[in-house]
Parts: sequence; C-alpha cells; structure tokens
Amino acid sequence: MHSIDFGPLWLTLRIALISTAILFCICLPLAFKLTQSRPWLRYPMQAMANLPLVLPPTVLGFYLLLLFSPERLPGAWVKAVFHVTLAFSQPGLVVASIIFSLPFMINPMISGFESLPRVLTEEATMDGATPWQIMAHVLIPNMRPALMAGIVLTFCHTLGEFGVALMVGGKIPGKTVLASMAVYDEVESLHYGAAHVYSGILCVLALCCLLTIFLLNRKGHRAL
Amino acid sequence: MNHMNSMGEMKRRRLRPFALILLVLAWNAYSQITVAVAANVQFAMEELKTEFKKSTGIDVKTSYGASGSFCTQIKNGAPFDVFISADMDFPDSLYKWGFAKEKPKPYAYGKLVLWTLKDFDLDKGLSVLSDSGVAKIALPDPKRAPYGREAAKAMKKSGLYDKIESKLVYGENISQVSQYILTGNVDIGFNAKSIVLAGEVAGKGKWKEVDSTLYDKIAQGAVICKYGLENNPSLSQRFYEFLFSDSAHAIFLRYGYVLP
Repeated sequence: MHSIDFGPLWLTLRIALISTAILFCICLPLAFKLTQSRPWLRYPMQAMANLPLVLPPTVLGFYLLLLFSPERLPGAWVKAVFHVTLAFSQPGLVVASIIFSLPFMINPMISGFESLPRVLTEEATMDGATPWQIMAHVLIPNMRPALMAGIVLTFCHTLGEFGVALMVGGKIPGKTVLASMAVYDEVESLHYGAAHVYSGILCVLALCCLLTIFLLNRKGHRAL
Repeated sequence: MNHMNSMGEMKRRRLRPFALILLVLAWNAYSQITVAVAANVQFAMEELKTEFKKSTGIDVKTSYGASGSFCTQIKNGAPFDVFISADMDFPDSLYKWGFAKEKPKPYAYGKLVLWTLKDFDLDKGLSVLSDSGVAKIALPDPKRAPYGREAAKAMKKSGLYDKIESKLVYGENISQVSQYILTGNVDIGFNAKSIVLAGEVAGKGKWKEVDSTLYDKIAQGAVICKYGLENNPSLSQRFYEFLFSDSAHAIFLRYGYVLP
C-alpha cells in the first residue's frame, strides 16, 4: 500500500485547535455585545456573522485570495507588520478557518447569553462587580454547556474545511496540506488505501466530537 | 370498465407534456457532446467550440480541469464523450484500462513558459527563480498536471530544484496557477504558452518560454471515451476528427502550440 503521511492529520488538528482558541476569545465578547445591542445593530451583525454558513467556500476562497495578496491592502499591511504572507501559509489557513467557522462559535454563545436571566447581570452590577467580573464569575459558569457546544462544533467544522483551504492553501507538502485535501489527492491518484486511512480517522474523530456534544447537552439539561 | 378507461385517458393526457419535455431533452442530448478538457487548452477550446458549431451545428459542452483529475473521473464512470488531455500518459492509461476507444493521438505539443507580473529579468532563464526577490513560485501539481510535471523536471535538470523547493506553491491545475500569479499572491509561476497568449490575459505582465532542452516537449493527446463510444459514437468521432483538421490546427497554432 502507498505509504501514509500523518502530517496532514496533525496539521489539521493543530489548525483546528488554534482557530478554535482564537474564535473563543473573539466570539465571547462579541456575542455578549450583540445580545446587549439594539435590534438595528444586532440583527445585521448577526446576519453578517452567519454568512460563512450559507456562502459557498469558493466565494470565501476567492475573496481571501484577493485580500491575502501582498500586492495590495490588507495583505500588504499584514506583510509589512507581521512579516508573513497569508496566502499559502499556516497563518493564512488559520485566518480562513476563523472566518469559515465563526457562526459555529458565535451562535451557541448568543443563545447561551440569551438563556441567562437578566437579573443575574443586574444583581451583580448592583453588588459593584465590573463587567469582566460579571463575565468570569456570573455568566460563564452559568452557560458552560453552550460554550462547550460552541467549542466542539467549531473544532469539528474546522476539521472539515476543504474548499477554502484548496483555494488559498497552495498545497505545500508538509506545510499547508490538510487531511481533507490529502483525502482528495489520494483519491485522485487512485491510492484508495491511503484515502481510507485518512477518511477513517476523520470519521472516528468527528463521531467522537459529535458524541461529546450530545453528552454535554444531556448533562446541561440535567444541570438546568 | 368505462370509468377505468377514462381514468387511463386522463392519466395519458396528463403525461403528454412530460413526454414532450423528455423528447426535447433527448433531442438536446443528441445534438451535443460533452468534452473533458485540460486547463491549458481552455482558451483555444472556446474558439474550437465556436468553429465546430459553425461547421456542424453541434454544441460542445466543456469541462476544464487537471488531466489527472479527469482521468480518475472517467475511470469512475464520468459521462465524458471525448477527453482532451495535457499529455499522453493519462489518456493512454484510460486506453489500457478499457475506458478509451483507441490509443491517444497527439493533437498538439505544448510549451512551458515562466510568467510574472513583476519586474524580474526573465532573460536569465530559470536561474531567475533563485533571485532573492522571488519568494513564491507557483506551478501546477506535478503529480496530476503534466505542465507541473515538466516544470519540476526543468527545475531539477537545471540544478535549481533543491535550492528553491521551499518557495514552491502548487495549484490544482494550470488555471489556479494563473490566478495565483494574477492576484499577486506569488511572484512568478510556470504556465502554458497557450494561456499567456489568450486574449483574456494578454498584456498582463511578461512571459518567456522555458528552455526546451530542460523538459520533454509536452505531447497532448486526445481519446474518445468509452462513454462517447457507447452513447454518442458518431458525434464523438466527428469532433475527434475535427481536432486534427486544418481549421483546428490554425487555432492551435495561434495559441502557441506546435503541431504534430
């Protein structure tokens, strides 16, 4: 059988972990802000955040290719400040994953914040807690299931990234070849054995993630 | 009994429009063929299609991509009547596997070019790739796209490959390489002469033929697929013969190919 390189699987896991961590940090304040905003601001913003859910990956890939170009802004700025070009690089894949998976993190968080009674925040404010303290000691502990759902869903979804990565990844062996692309390549090259190994591992991984979500949901209900 | 008959009559009447639609669909399928075309032939193909339609009235539906991908798809039953590859190996393997009517014949020879939108000195030949200003070089995936395979060969033969391997970026096919070059995401790239000569990109940046002693000239072969043989034999044959006609040759020449 064609020899199997586990690099793409590790890279996929790494990109998924980094993107999930960054998304968590971005989405937590954003989701909170959105639930506090007036409807005219909130719903357009929420719609924007959900665009990656409905747009074809090719649309994202096309725009990212233009945005990443070091020839013009913002790619030129990124290159000047951080000395990286986003196209064909791992930072670029992370940026793509963040945009691609944004709805999967922000939506559970928004419903999490909404499910909390307003009284919680109000009482804490009256007790003199700062917004950060409220977030850390009141809100987050009370919406753990929603946060976990967001994290696991985002992670899962990033594992499945293919179209965007194919358009902006440049398929550099050992650097930007994700597991999904490795499957595609092996199938195209008629190496079905290798394709089976990658696909099988991805199936098991995705199944475990989803199982985690369902178990968490069950626990969450009990806690409530 | 009478009641049953009128029911049957009604059903038949209701079905009539569907029969008509089916007929139209069948007629359309009859007067068109579907062709899988290597990405480097894309622009020439648009002219070939127009020319073929003018002389025969037959519509040609085209799908553009990497030859290797098409080869796999056809082996897995993709409904293409004719396959226009970027090399001889892929259509030849189709023939060996029983998915093509006969051994492929070369319809044109393709040439490799270096293409850039930036101010590099292309007269230096491939050694321009080791310039410090060149950070990213694009080529089609050598595993699946013949132009990529030959580009890699040329870099190896000129002794540059090991030095510049870390700068290489791979496109799915030759068109994706063009996008990488045109959007400025790479500094320079390998492409087909037939692409840089096309009206769509003419005047964008500059290009230079790669020294032809560094790679094997790219013989591009075509075959009638098993699907075409079984479903569309006469139209497929007509289109296949057209590829070797004088009017097709004139178009290939205009797009920088060398004739067989």
